Amino acid sequence: MQNNLLTELGKSLLTGSLDEGRLMAQTGEPPAVQILPEANVVKMGGQSVIDRGRVAVFPLIEEIVENLRRHKMIIGTGAGTRARHAYSVGLDLGLPTGVLSVLGTFVSMQNARMLNYLLAKHGIPFIEPAQFAQLPHYLAERGAVIFFGMPPYIYWHTNPSVGRIPPHRTDTGSYLVSEVFGARSMIFVKDEKGLYTADPKKERGAKFIPKITVAELEQLDLQDVVVERSVLELMRNATHRRSIQIINGLERGNLSRALDGEHVGTIITSD
Amino acid sequence: MSDSPKDTDGRHHVESMLMRESLVDREVQRTTETPVFRMLPEAHVIKVGGRSVMDAGRAVVYPVVEALAECLKTKKLIIGTGGGVRSRHVFSIGIDLGLPTGVLAQLAVADSLGNAHILGTLLAPHGVVAIPPEIFGHLLPLFIASAPGVVFNGDPPYSLWEHLPESGRIPPHRSDAGSFLLAECFGCKTFTLIKDVDGLYDRDPRGHAGAQLIREIDTTELRRRGFESLPFERVLIDLLDNARLLRSVQIVNGRHPERISAALEGEHVGTIVHAGHKARV
Repeated sequence: MQNNLLTELGKSLLTGSLDEGRLMAQTGEPPAVQILPEANVVKMGGQSVIDRGRVAVFPLIEEIVENLRRHKMIIGTGAGTRARHAYSVGLDLGLPTGVLSVLGTFVSMQNARMLNYLLAKHGIPFIEPAQFAQLPHYLAERGAVIFFGMPPYIYWHTNPSVGRIPPHRTDTGSYLVSEVFGARSMIFVKDEKGLYTADPKKERGAKFIPKITVAELEQLDLQDVVVERSVLELMRNATHRRSIQIINGLERGNLSRALDGEHVGTIITSD
Repeated sequence: MSDSPKDTDGRHHVESMLMRESLVDREVQRTTETPVFRMLPEAHVIKVGGRSVMDAGRAVVYPVVEALAECLKTKKLIIGTGGGVRSRHVFSIGIDLGLPTGVLAQLAVADSLGNAHILGTLLAPHGVVAIPPEIFGHLLPLFIASAPGVVFNGDPPYSLWEHLPESGRIPPHRSDAGSFLLAECFGCKTFTLIKDVDGLYDRDPRGHAGAQLIREIDTTELRRRGFESLPFERVLIDLLDNARLLRSVQIVNGRHPERISAALEGEHVGTIVHAGHKARV
């Protein structure tokens, strides 16, 4: 095909197979641009933060407001205990994983709406996936936006290999936003200092891990981890967001320090 | 909040099987394996190739449309379309401009949606049209009860949330994956990929005259043999392995349109790929 309008890669893509290894390797160049390099993605835990109500949420709202002029924030919300209820009901009724994903989306949307009203007087909008084209504008104008953390996979959610709970939930949805926009940081606000060798709520002897790579974490083969496993899997192939931090949002000041780039919880890196 | 169970640490819970649990915990995950309800057990999902069928023009598309029309007389069809050469083009421009995978996935929807409307136009005399993606999944059972079939853009709605490929930047979940995932979620009867080759070959039949057709294979064997080129999206192998309801796919050559209705009848007319040994159903 004689066509001067196409790059060499373009010509190969029109004729080659998109499942051929060599051709795929060529599609990594030139490197991806960072769409929003100044933005920080902050995921607010569902069960860990929002389900605690005012005691946990109000101080974090204050901290977000204090940071509005200092940092740009794309705030994702978790789902929490109501999603666990909906999943339990759905599993009992035999509903497919894709439908459970729809139910989880509704709960994280409720949480996003609640945060939205608490931040409304600062002009901070809640946007659904269809409104993401306006995200850069809101971020430039107001310094923050809120979205629901569930990725919009709905009926197309992939099955997990074990069990039937949707594997890509609000940690994953928030993380993918940080990666696709080439954001400056990905901060998970939870109710534990970070990653432990076991769930610290159940095991007294669980040891805190301040910093670890995805490969080291896989070696440890932990029964439970503090973020969704699919975040760790996706981090392996990430271009931009090759580190994440998990912090304890119940301690005042941690969010601000994490936004400033300080190490206050567990940092997990791709390598 | 007073009657909700409250942890000593201040979390307010709703009573449920998964209350207080970490959904990441492997033991918890194991307890959630329940039999799956089939929403549309009589419907068949067909993915019509973009480059292999739609881009080939009237000579190929019209006979495929006729074959589909014939099937529509007795069966309910959910037809997904691929984006074809226009998606390849937008990928190449997007990559050159440095756009990430999620943006490429978002852009590609426009091409398969265009092809869905092309196919929907040709199937309009049979009461089949392209449905807007925003309402498609939710209203699908209603459409299937009221019309002989529907056409949709085969892509999953992953958009900016598309997963990162192991190599390069092409979105790994395209229209084969999207059509398969839909068929699995709705518990449909069969899943058929209509392409321009007879099925899977041990080498790309387009460049190798002696390539051998493989009539039947499972994903374990597929992984072991490590084929450089496949007539379907590679991610389909993983999706099949994790499927609970749809444990095989058939690849059928659309240049022999009579094979389409045969495939829906359960005949073996192309390559059948089965989920691997770790069968769970």
